Amino acid sequence: MSFLSVRGLCLSYPAPRRFLRRAAPLRALHDLGFDLAAGERVGLIGASGSGKSSLLRCLLALEAGQSGAIRCQDRPVIAGSALSLRWYRRAVQYVPQDPVASLEPRMTVARIVAEPLARLRVEGDHARRAMEALDGVGLDHRFLGRRPDELSGGQAQRVAIARAIACRPGLLLMDEPVSGLDMTIRAQVVDVLRHLSDLHGTGILMVSHDISVVAGLCDRAMVMDRGHLVEDRPIADLMRDPHHPMTRELLNAAPPIRAVA
Amino acid sequence: MTRTLNRLTPALSRGVTLIAVMMLVGMLPWISGRDPAVSILRARMGEQNATPEALDAIRDRLGLASGPVQHMLDWFAGVLRGDWGMSWISGGPVLPGMMQALGVSLALMAAAFGVALATASLLCWPTLRRGLGGRDTRSSGAVAAGLTAMPEFMLSALFLVVFSVWLGWFPPYGWSSWSHMVLPALALGLPGGGLLGRLLSNAVAATFHERWIASWAVAGFTRGQIARAVLRRSLPALMPQVGMIMVAMTGGAIAVEQVFSIPGLGRAVLGAASAQDLPALQAGILILLLNALLIGVLANLVRVALLGRALHMGALPVPQIAPMPADRRLWLIPVSVVVVLIVLIAAGLPRDPYASQFVRLQPPDLALPLGADAVGRDVLARVAHGAMSTIGMAAIATFLSLVIGLAMGLMPRIAIGLIEVTKATPPTIAALIVVAAMGPSATGALIAVTAVAWAPLAAHTAALVTEARAQPHVRIAPILGVGPLRIVPRSILPAVFGPVLRHAMLRLPGNALALAALGFLGLGARPPAPEWGLILADALPYVERAPLAVLTPVAALALMSVLGVALASLTRR
Repeated sequence: MSFLSVRGLCLSYPAPRRFLRRAAPLRALHDLGFDLAAGERVGLIGASGSGKSSLLRCLLALEAGQSGAIRCQDRPVIAGSALSLRWYRRAVQYVPQDPVASLEPRMTVARIVAEPLARLRVEGDHARRAMEALDGVGLDHRFLGRRPDELSGGQAQRVAIARAIACRPGLLLMDEPVSGLDMTIRAQVVDVLRHLSDLHGTGILMVSHDISVVAGLCDRAMVMDRGHLVEDRPIADLMRDPHHPMTRELLNAAPPIRAVA
Repeated sequence: MTRTLNRLTPALSRGVTLIAVMMLVGMLPWISGRDPAVSILRARMGEQNATPEALDAIRDRLGLASGPVQHMLDWFAGVLRGDWGMSWISGGPVLPGMMQALGVSLALMAAAFGVALATASLLCWPTLRRGLGGRDTRSSGAVAAGLTAMPEFMLSALFLVVFSVWLGWFPPYGWSSWSHMVLPALALGLPGGGLLGRLLSNAVAATFHERWIASWAVAGFTRGQIARAVLRRSLPALMPQVGMIMVAMTGGAIAVEQVFSIPGLGRAVLGAASAQDLPALQAGILILLLNALLIGVLANLVRVALLGRALHMGALPVPQIAPMPADRRLWLIPVSVVVVLIVLIAAGLPRDPYASQFVRLQPPDLALPLGADAVGRDVLARVAHGAMSTIGMAAIATFLSLVIGLAMGLMPRIAIGLIEVTKATPPTIAALIVVAAMGPSATGALIAVTAVAWAPLAAHTAALVTEARAQPHVRIAPILGVGPLRIVPRSILPAVFGPVLRHAMLRLPGNALALAALGFLGLGARPPAPEWGLILADALPYVERAPLAVLTPVAALALMSVLGVALASLTRR
């Protein structure tokens, strides 16, 4: 059974207004449809402007498409109030692109990681679960009292991951989670993600324009081009035999594939 | 549907605010809580008793029996027809007198605007020359900054003492020849010109740092062509400020007309306010507001015309502000001003500001360092106590405007109309409305200053809130289950509070000056309260015999202006 399903999702933005007349709306997503199984690791690749971020905003219920439906564990996902989306936030969490900036600078690491537990009304001892989450990403108790400006980029990204997994979601959405990190740290973070996903059976949908990172972590890849989903296949197939010209272009742009970590 | 509503919110906010202000003006006679019939009876027929029959007769004649809403609608209908009501005092129509006064005021403002433009050009000239010569352009600021904060009523009093009384170069009051225009135009134009010159000089300095200047110079454009292009590039961003400066002039003109006894709109409105002649006051306030609105629209049109197609193409490069070198000595000015104020207060506070214990206009000696005023009160004591009350009231106004500004700035889309209209209202006009509603009092002045002082803080808050909401750690909040209400104390307020608090503190001297201006015009604190503006107004008629009684409050006000400017320029660097 699929954990998350997307059917017929369309999204368009109003075009910027010129003097007294408005151009046709810009279509960001064209009739998208796919399923994510529980625990599955999927990469979403595409050039800038291909609609990856728009899709992510829809999946995060920050934005509603003009048509189409998103269902999670057979419940409809509808963009709405914080209260009505609590169940979905517990089931699907998010790791942003810029880890340092995504952490509230006035809070300590302990409060940052425990905050979603309190706000999403997760049961149990929040402090202990926050500590467990930090353990899971390889940060010990010495980090509890630190503030984001005292963390390195890799440490901040681990905190952001700990914050996302603290409420044990079934799926993690990630937007370029390692693109801001240097090569060695990148490999460590990918390791942490693979380990957590195996351990808790957490699914991953990772947006990236870098096919090598996707290849290192995911089993399946989806390619987007100008709002269309143009390929959706196992990553090994895709790399061996790219069908769509855009896929070929992305493959050519990527550095030679090596085993990440 | 919600999207459309969302887009329309700012426009709705502007429209609703304008209508609300109009309604406020239209209903003033009723808000004042005074029975108009009684004021009319008192003003016109002093010998008659306020018998119910006499009052009813007057109500009937003025159509006041119909109630506030109907009267307001009638008033609006009349305004549209050109019938602006009958004066309660003279019984004649209000409009002709007001239009005549408006003509005088417009002539004064045109002259003052000429002064402002000349001042601004002089201030900007060195920067432009340095830039054309290829040398590093840095804005020249000290003189301009000094001029900027001098309140018009204080400059007027100063010019009156120096140029009319001591030097005798210009007539002290009246409006019958060109020489009558010189001092008022200078007093009204110099502060605005200082501000305009400083802003223009900053903008020109920033423009000279843009890359196209070098390309143009290499391509062989003449210095004249480059100068014109630089000005054209720098001016559009200033047009809203020019509009604000001109609107502020309509407020300043009221004080200047009062000092130099010019029969302009401001003086007519002040007269109507002190006589509680509400129809005349309504007409005057409406003209002042329409004037402010018109200036705002004109400034915007000029800006659009100057920008041309660049406005629609989004092709405007963002000017870079050249960082200024830090200078330790800058602290000396505000610190020494504060020390002088403390010495003044410490010397005068133990003395009695109310008792008439000296000879009228007694000249200064050791026991009475600053002399006595026209009723034999100690000037030093009055100025010191005045400092306490003026600064104390300014502190209260600043605190209240900080609270209101933060609250309004947190919901910028709803408050935008209110913020814009309020920013375009000089405190004097706000005070006129307050006085019309509740009579002149220190509390009224406090309300009036607070009522306009919050707007710049709200605009600043709104800008910071927009910035804070764009931060990644705020944008991720909904995903962490943090709702829109909790996000305000969690992330927005902490990010906004510090800068806005500092901004509010910088405005404290300005608020003190605004309060003093209202006291001076008889729109604020009442005699015998020792309040700077009031002390100055009391002393002005005796300026020839006791100039020190005028110069002391002028000096105190000047210190306050210097403090404001020095603090403001400290944080800009």
